[in-house]
Amino acid sequence: MKKRQDKSKTDGGISLLLSIIVVFCILGAVVFSVARKISTEMSASAIQNLSESLDLIECTIEAVLNKEAEFQRLMAQEIAMWEDPEEYICTFQKSQTMVKISLVRAGETAGISNTDGPFSGEALDFSAGGMVDGLPVSQSYTNYMGTWAYTMKCPVVKDGAEIATLYIEYVYDTLDRALPGGFYNKRAMLYIMDAESRRMVLKPKGMGERSAGHLNLEDFFRANDITDEGLREEVDKSIRDGKNIMFNHDIRGKNSLIYMWSVNEGTLYLIGYVPVEAIQQEGNTVNQNIFIVVAVMLVAFFLCCVLYYFNQRQQNKIRKEREQEREIHNRQLAEALQAAQIASNSKTTFLSNMSHDIRTPMNAVIGFTTLLARDAENPDKVREYTKKIMASGQHLLSLINDILDVSKIESGKVVLTVEEFTLNDLVSSVDAIVRPMAVAREQKFHVEVTGIKHEYLLGDETRINQILINLLSNAVKYTQEKGNIWFRMIGMKQRSPQYERIRIEVQDDGYGMTPEYLDIIFDAFTRAENSTTNKVQGTGLGMAITKNIVELMGGTIDVSSEVDKGTLFRVELELRIPEGQANRRFWAENKISRILAVGNDEEACENIHVLMKEVGVETDMVCSADKAVQALKENDGEYYQLLLVDWNVADMEGIDKVKELQETAPDTMPVFFLADCDAGLDETILSGHTKVLAKPFFVSAFQEKILEIRAEKDKGHTRDEAAVNSLEGLHFLAAEDNEINAEILREILSIEGADCEIVENGQLAVERFMRAAEKEFDAILMDVQMPVMNGYHATRAIRALDRRDAATIPIIAMTANAFAEDEKEALDAGMNVHLAKPIDVELLKKVISQYVSGKE
Amino acid sequence: MDMRKNHKEKVAATCLAGLAALVLTACSGGLPEDNVMTFEKESERIVTLFSPMEKTKPDVDNVARSASEKTVVMAEEKLGVTVDYITYTAEDYQDKTYDDIALDRARNDMDDLYLLNPDVIQKLAGEGKLMDLSGLDSAKNLRDVVKAANIVDGRLVAIPQEVVAYGLFVNKDLFDKYHLALPETPEEFLECCRVFQENGIETPVGANRWWLETFVLAQAYAELYNGGNTEAEIAALNSGEKKYSDYMRPGFEFLQEMIDRGYIDAGKAYVSEAIDGEGADFLAQKTPIVMAYWGAANTPTAYGNPDFNMLVIGFPSSMGQMPVMPMTGIAVGVNALHAEDAMRTLDIMVSDEALQVYAETNKVISPSKNVAVDCIPALKPLNDRINENVFVLGSNASMKLEQWGNTCIIVRMLLSGSTVDECMAEFDRLQAETLEH
Repeated sequence: MKKRQDKSKTDGGISLLLSIIVVFCILGAVVFSVARKISTEMSASAIQNLSESLDLIECTIEAVLNKEAEFQRLMAQEIAMWEDPEEYICTFQKSQTMVKISLVRAGETAGISNTDGPFSGEALDFSAGGMVDGLPVSQSYTNYMGTWAYTMKCPVVKDGAEIATLYIEYVYDTLDRALPGGFYNKRAMLYIMDAESRRMVLKPKGMGERSAGHLNLEDFFRANDITDEGLREEVDKSIRDGKNIMFNHDIRGKNSLIYMWSVNEGTLYLIGYVPVEAIQQEGNTVNQNIFIVVAVMLVAFFLCCVLYYFNQRQQNKIRKEREQEREIHNRQLAEALQAAQIASNSKTTFLSNMSHDIRTPMNAVIGFTTLLARDAENPDKVREYTKKIMASGQHLLSLINDILDVSKIESGKVVLTVEEFTLNDLVSSVDAIVRPMAVAREQKFHVEVTGIKHEYLLGDETRINQILINLLSNAVKYTQEKGNIWFRMIGMKQRSPQYERIRIEVQDDGYGMTPEYLDIIFDAFTRAENSTTNKVQGTGLGMAITKNIVELMGGTIDVSSEVDKGTLFRVELELRIPEGQANRRFWAENKISRILAVGNDEEACENIHVLMKEVGVETDMVCSADKAVQALKENDGEYYQLLLVDWNVADMEGIDKVKELQETAPDTMPVFFLADCDAGLDETILSGHTKVLAKPFFVSAFQEKILEIRAEKDKGHTRDEAAVNSLEGLHFLAAEDNEINAEILREILSIEGADCEIVENGQLAVERFMRAAEKEFDAILMDVQMPVMNGYHATRAIRALDRRDAATIPIIAMTANAFAEDEKEALDAGMNVHLAKPIDVELLKKVISQYVSGKE
Repeated sequence: MDMRKNHKEKVAATCLAGLAALVLTACSGGLPEDNVMTFEKESERIVTLFSPMEKTKPDVDNVARSASEKTVVMAEEKLGVTVDYITYTAEDYQDKTYDDIALDRARNDMDDLYLLNPDVIQKLAGEGKLMDLSGLDSAKNLRDVVKAANIVDGRLVAIPQEVVAYGLFVNKDLFDKYHLALPETPEEFLECCRVFQENGIETPVGANRWWLETFVLAQAYAELYNGGNTEAEIAALNSGEKKYSDYMRPGFEFLQEMIDRGYIDAGKAYVSEAIDGEGADFLAQKTPIVMAYWGAANTPTAYGNPDFNMLVIGFPSSMGQMPVMPMTGIAVGVNALHAEDAMRTLDIMVSDEALQVYAETNKVISPSKNVAVDCIPALKPLNDRINENVFVLGSNASMKLEQWGNTCIIVRMLLSGSTVDECMAEFDRLQAETLEH
């Protein structure tokens, strides 16, 4: 079909082209004919013009000759009246026209002339019979002046008898003066030829082309390459007959018109030539103009064609682009439809999963609640059931948290809370959470930190924590028992001195993923489904949340995995380095400027060196206990302020070596063993000055341990945390609209030995507080979403009250609005702290103990 | 995309606008608004130059003429004058010669500038018909020998555009064919002619009625001009102490012998114009030797394009090959109608700048001491002799008896049957005339 369309297009183009060619051929033929007609007419006109010019010249010459003859007759009449004609002749001076005047008396052969003495008419040749106005004219000759001349003779008649003959010599130069300086823009040549002798008696005065053929007719023919015998004979005959002739001939490559114009009945001839282009100048101009017009029209036409062509091309291009756009749109629509369908399917699947995942713990809660009701009398059963109900509830809570996270991230409502944190805390907290999980599954959990230059960084620690927990809990989940989990934190080369670039790697040797699943791993509502992983509970939202958070932080995440070989997640983040690291001061204040580190892991040693240098502490590295002993001995007791020993040294060289080292160190010198959490340390070596520092090495952790030693040294007593956090004897005002929640709260507090008064909304809470005596309530527990007046307004109202404790009474938000923004809003409203529901009793106790004053 | 489209449209619009402007401009020349048209009469400053023209062949440029024309154009451009050429060429030997016409025209003050042969220069200068050119700037650049040859009664009467040197044009191929060395002396020359004749070349020397005198002059004055006593010998001739006929006799006897042996066809030579008579046979390699002037070797209408190895050598003499150098020149008529412009025109035509152009175009020896150009290989033998300062002057204004014209006429007497003695008697008569004046 398309081919046929193309073919018809081509045919159309060819026929259009042919039509244009035909139109142009017709136009060309018309222009050519018109030009030719004009040329022919102009040529005829030019020839007519030329012949008229020649006629004019002929008439001029004949007029001069006739006047000469007439004047000569008058002179003859005058002479006849003189008694001594010779005397009369001698009185004449030579003039420009009559260069010699001679008189020969009748019957004599010699006479006199006005120029020199004797004159004989016999030297002159009148045999040709040429006449001018009835007077015989001689053949042309070169005269005494070296120029061409002719003589006319006139009888001097007195009383009817011829008494003498008057000879007057004229020069052709006279005729030259009567002729135009040149015609046809001086491109026409003009000779005067004596017809009898065929000699050129007057020649053009110039150069160039006129250098040829000036001698006689033969020379003229030869110079102008006129060799056609027939033509020459015809010319010869015409000259003999005294006819005017004109013919075309090429002279020096130019088509010329040669003319021979009879003067004075053929005794003289005007001979010459003119290039045809010179006489057809007007015709040529007209033709040139016609061609210019045609050319301009053609150029304009072609320009129009070009414009039309470009326009068409542009149109086609736009059409094509539109078609392409349409196609892209269609494709996008199809893709969107497909995506929507997939999303819909995913959500259906998700809902189905959720339904399943929520129902399962709910089933457990309801089931165990039923069992609880039945076995309420049996404390062991009750404890067991409540434990299981608690676990199911926790699981449900995590499910809900994940769903909310995804929803918030997708709607762009997540705000990062950037604060200073230490990598030590981050790693410690992650380690604390993940290690038990790994241990439970008998997996080995390796933590490695290398190349980190700055430990204190700015970032959202909670979210980074979330990322790591997500990745690591997945690794634990999707790795078989006794497998390995690696958690690496690698300092990369900085792109900017203000940012620490960190790569976090989470690797396992677990089940791995299929390439298909890798493609959608970061999409929400997906979960690897197979017989192995079905046992694993989850929302399928973790990775989507992780990716979104990483990207929110301007980082990248990628994953590589192979089924049954394991998975590697790589997260790269750039975290700002806080200005002015305060902990530098700590080391200076504690007078620690140089430490000795013993270890055989070069990378770890380098890491320590870098980190310590950052806080202004020099680290001398030795690779064995012996060398460390030697170093300690070589330097006095004050040289090193601390000794840091990698526990690997003990593993490699034996505990005795370590003990020797410990003994060598001065008694006051604190010794730290850097060991894995699960390393079995010999308790005998631990003393007041010897502490264990968990791997990986962090300055902040190091610092804490030093503080610990100092604290022990100061023998400061540590408060019993449990006692501190006790709620015993406290009295709370609680605003809670949900009866069940209110009940739970009351029960929990009563278990802890506290009591509480519950009101149903914020308004009632404000009113109750107004009525209350000072210090009647230790704190107010405030729900946020309540009828009549919400928690925020209530808090503001309380804080605005005009009583002394209105500004100081702790108000604790207890709400299901669990996000950072909610927390911020709560604090803005004047609340002291924000706790998310469901209530974690321990956390509540800790917070209350922190804010409630006077409890001690 | 849009930018590009706009660009194309702009280009197309500009083209159309340009086209329209072009057409409108081209067609804008209309009729003058004023109905009465006036025409200024052109007033031309004319200088007339009388010079010869040879009979011409179609589509052939005369090199010498072209060279001269370049200098004329130079003068026309610098002075704003127009040089009108007046020419004369004799149809045959019965016609008046160019020299006759030149004499007539100069005596009747017909023209302003004249290109003259040395004898005519001497005659007209003697009659006081030529202007003194020694005041021209260009005269200062002339070689001494050129000046000397054109000074009559202390007046510089003509200045040439080239130093004309005559020599023998020989067909080297034919000399080689018959194992002949190029002749140095009259005896060797006769021997060459004998060998040629024996080998079927009946008339080894092609001649015309003008240039046979060069043989005579070469033999007559070889020792006078190259013997180191030139001025004294000329003084002796001018005073009558020595006779021209004594110098001339060997040359005439030599010519007579040539004629007698049939090496020269005297009858044909007597009626032949220069090159016209003998040129065709020489070019056809029927005649191995002709005589001509330097420029003929450069001129396509003369011997410029031979089909054989041509060399130009000096004439045989007792002192070896001898170039003969008559001095033609351009003169200004004393009563010239446009004398002032004529003098200025000549000054430019013979300036160093013009002579450089002339010499380069025509490959000739320049009369200016400041101008030198290379010659063609054929002319090298002749040029070498001239560079060695070995030559005979064909005309010398310091000799009271005009040489170039008179010798030519007396050689014609020999050609027409007079004896050597009669010819010598004519020299004696002419010398006697000079002594009488």
